[in-house]
Amino acid sequence: MSQQKRASKAKTADSTGASKEPKTVYEDALHTYYLTRPFDRAYEGHGLDGMSAVDKQGWITQQSAQPGVIEELSKKTQKEILKQVSDLGIPVRRAHIKPTPDQWGKDKHGRNIGDYTLEERNVRFTKQSKLRKLTSASDRFRNRRDLVLSGLVDGNTGEPFTLEDGAVEKERVRRKEMAALKDDLYGEKRNSYSMDPDWDDVVPIPQSEPEGALAAISYPEDYAESMSYLRAVMAAQEYSPRCLKLTEDIIFMNPAHYTVWLYRFSIVQALKISILEELAWLNNVALEHLKNYQIWHHRQLLIDHYYPSIADAPDDIKILANSERDFLMQMFAEDAKNYHVWSYRQYIVHKLSMWDQVELQSIEGMIDEDVRNNSAWSHRFFLVFSNPSYATEDSHSTEHDPKVPAEIIDREIRYAQEKIKLAPQNQSPWNYLRGVLVKGGRKLGSVKGYVEEYVKDLGEESEAVRSSHALDQLADTYKEAGDKEKADLCLRRLGEKWDRIRQGYWEYRRQTLEV
Amino acid sequence: MSLDTPRHVKYWQRCFKSILPHHYTSMDSSRLALGYFILGGLDLLFSTLSASVTTEPLIPKADRKRLRDWILSLQHRYGGFCGSPHHVFPESFEKGFDHAVKPAADDTENANIAATAFALLMLGIIGEDREGVSAFRGVKRVQTLRWLRKLQRPDGSFGEFLKKDGTVGGGKDMRYCYVAAMIRWMLCGNEIPQDGPDKPRQFQDLDVDGLVGHIRRGQTFDGGIAESSMGESHAGYAYCAVAALSLLDRAEPDGDNKYLKKGIRDIPALVHWLVARQFIYTASEDPESESAKDEPELSALNISESEGYVTGFNGRLNKIADTCYTWWVFGALRLLDKAQPGTAKAINRAPSRSFLLEKTQHPVLGGFGKHAERPPDVYHSYMGLAALETMAGEDGEEGVSLFDAGLCISSDAAARIEVARRFWN
Repeated sequence: MSQQKRASKAKTADSTGASKEPKTVYEDALHTYYLTRPFDRAYEGHGLDGMSAVDKQGWITQQSAQPGVIEELSKKTQKEILKQVSDLGIPVRRAHIKPTPDQWGKDKHGRNIGDYTLEERNVRFTKQSKLRKLTSASDRFRNRRDLVLSGLVDGNTGEPFTLEDGAVEKERVRRKEMAALKDDLYGEKRNSYSMDPDWDDVVPIPQSEPEGALAAISYPEDYAESMSYLRAVMAAQEYSPRCLKLTEDIIFMNPAHYTVWLYRFSIVQALKISILEELAWLNNVALEHLKNYQIWHHRQLLIDHYYPSIADAPDDIKILANSERDFLMQMFAEDAKNYHVWSYRQYIVHKLSMWDQVELQSIEGMIDEDVRNNSAWSHRFFLVFSNPSYATEDSHSTEHDPKVPAEIIDREIRYAQEKIKLAPQNQSPWNYLRGVLVKGGRKLGSVKGYVEEYVKDLGEESEAVRSSHALDQLADTYKEAGDKEKADLCLRRLGEKWDRIRQGYWEYRRQTLEV
Repeated sequence: MSLDTPRHVKYWQRCFKSILPHHYTSMDSSRLALGYFILGGLDLLFSTLSASVTTEPLIPKADRKRLRDWILSLQHRYGGFCGSPHHVFPESFEKGFDHAVKPAADDTENANIAATAFALLMLGIIGEDREGVSAFRGVKRVQTLRWLRKLQRPDGSFGEFLKKDGTVGGGKDMRYCYVAAMIRWMLCGNEIPQDGPDKPRQFQDLDVDGLVGHIRRGQTFDGGIAESSMGESHAGYAYCAVAALSLLDRAEPDGDNKYLKKGIRDIPALVHWLVARQFIYTASEDPESESAKDEPELSALNISESEGYVTGFNGRLNKIADTCYTWWVFGALRLLDKAQPGTAKAINRAPSRSFLLEKTQHPVLGGFGKHAERPPDVYHSYMGLAALETMAGEDGEEGVSLFDAGLCISSDAAARIEVARRFWN
């Protein structure tokens, strides 16, 4: 008699009738469990005293028939019990461990596999078996390739081992399938490296770190793996296309990695990759990681490397200058005060001699757009006072440069004054104005009339000030002219009324005035 | 409002014990910097707390050996420290299908100037004996100083690391000048017997005059300091320039702050620029754009004494307030005070303190955010404490240990380093 049949026979004896058609993995397992222990349900439901006489007798028989119990009984009783076991259809072997709902664990979504329907379970089984088959095929590939690389001769053919045509490509597809299945079944994310047959010869160097190390970071899933491959190829100083791709992966995850950029640059050089192509690639990275500094350093290295090849071709220089400027303007559309981008802009102006009107107009456009963009003001100062066509080479920004023509000083004074008018409390053009005067070797007193327009009736009832910076500059202007009293009045009024948050500073300035 | 010390302690303990979230991944190469902020933060909060709450240091004694070992595990075999475990290469590695063992190629570029300074500071912070005698045990002092010397460019500036071909890598950045001066001071670079006719090729100190000259060239037309004379002034660079000079002076106690006086062309102009970084903070700032949108109103400056107001600091003209610039500005002024007495008190403390305590101190998580209503991060949380203590001057900020504005660590830790640098095995 099959177990199933015996069980169904036994089921008739189960007065509780608790068993219904199993729907889930757990129910199914539970169902099977009870099939092997036909009276347990009644016992668990009612206890020994609450069971029907038939069930009670059946349960006692079942318990007595257990190995370890039955041997203790007399031969006669043993015989009797075994007969009853046979009559009641109690299975000889029984499940010992009662299934629990979570014994199958969870799938990658956190869902209990015990709650899977039987159909879902079958789908999962099918995938698992497919993954097993793929894994063993992949193992065969690896073994075969080891043989090929070993240079051994195939005993059957007398020829060296070879890989079949397309075997690597097939393996690549296979590993993709495996990766998809592993992700699907277990949520195991693997990036391409350990899954890619092209990387099989690289032994990754994983990070080794004691447990409880300081400032450990919970890296994204594929970061640690990519990094271990990067370390391996960097240690081997391999400069190849696959490494170039790897640096890109790392850079997108961690652009602040200070040696990956250096490594990438070496690869670019070794493979003689077109610098313009690399610049185009870099544009995307820069737009993706606005705050990063290494990107701009890398760009400088590229330009330094590229420049000699166009140094004698003014047209090519012009084309590069324009495309660089266009890209910088794209960056400034994202953040018009990005420090790294502005530093780079100074570099590129120097490098490609972009001292022309186009550059000046470009900056004027930015100041027109936002008169308070101090970065643009700084760049203007640099453009005007570093221009090698008239400025003294390496003249410091805080010293008089007699070589700068007076018309240029006049033009810049006018420019600053126009912009101050637009926003008198904006400090950028005020600082600029003073900087220009120093460069021109002119006294503060030379613009006193203009500055005084912003301050009326100082110290009187009708006192009116339109800009604290004007008052600040006037203090120095009067000091320059030897009028300490008026200078002191400016500083006092700044502390008392027009710039109270810096009261301590203005007082300090008053003290230094007396020295 | 006052410093919510228990909450800050909790914040730092959380950072100390648990793994930092994934958005710190882009700081993976700066693990030593992160570690420095964490240990430094716990150290700063300990002294005052100790009396009332616990006698066990916030950096548990039992953990110090493991921390020390971890820091020293990042030391490069040719001197200097690597930024993170990912930058430490094994001396040999396996390669190819047959896993053949090869010696690793030269990786001198993994030793990083900033990481080296942070490592030394941390060793000082966790020094086990109070005196600090053994804090630097295990540091490759002479090798590190030799390596540091190679990071200096002919113009006096410093790079970030040394490339395989022996050239200096990294951009021009005043921060490297600061950490170079810091490393030199901590390792007593000026006191090692110098290269001379009797001891050829023995050792060469940094080109101090070159460094001072480079810093001197960094002042710009508006009085601030940039990476070069024609760059845009930046408060962080101003601090780094001043602090670098102050550390050069520190190595020569009888020098009457000569480097500070020599290295800044125009100190009054720098002070003028620094104090102008303070402005009335209004909640209308948009941190997304990072630049102040509205015209600064003169009326906003014309405030009456009784009004409660809050002042933030920006790092450049017309940018928005950021916790860390409160520190960079106060820190720079505190150090400049040695050359130009009075500057440390040129800024009103109360409204600046309010900005940190009322706006960027996180009311639930502890720590400080970059801007108001931002979640805390280790960098701004540390700089917030540094700023509070530095602006307090001799009065001190309740809850925070005395601070060494030049080394950017507690005065206790600085005192340990002062001893450690004199003891070498």
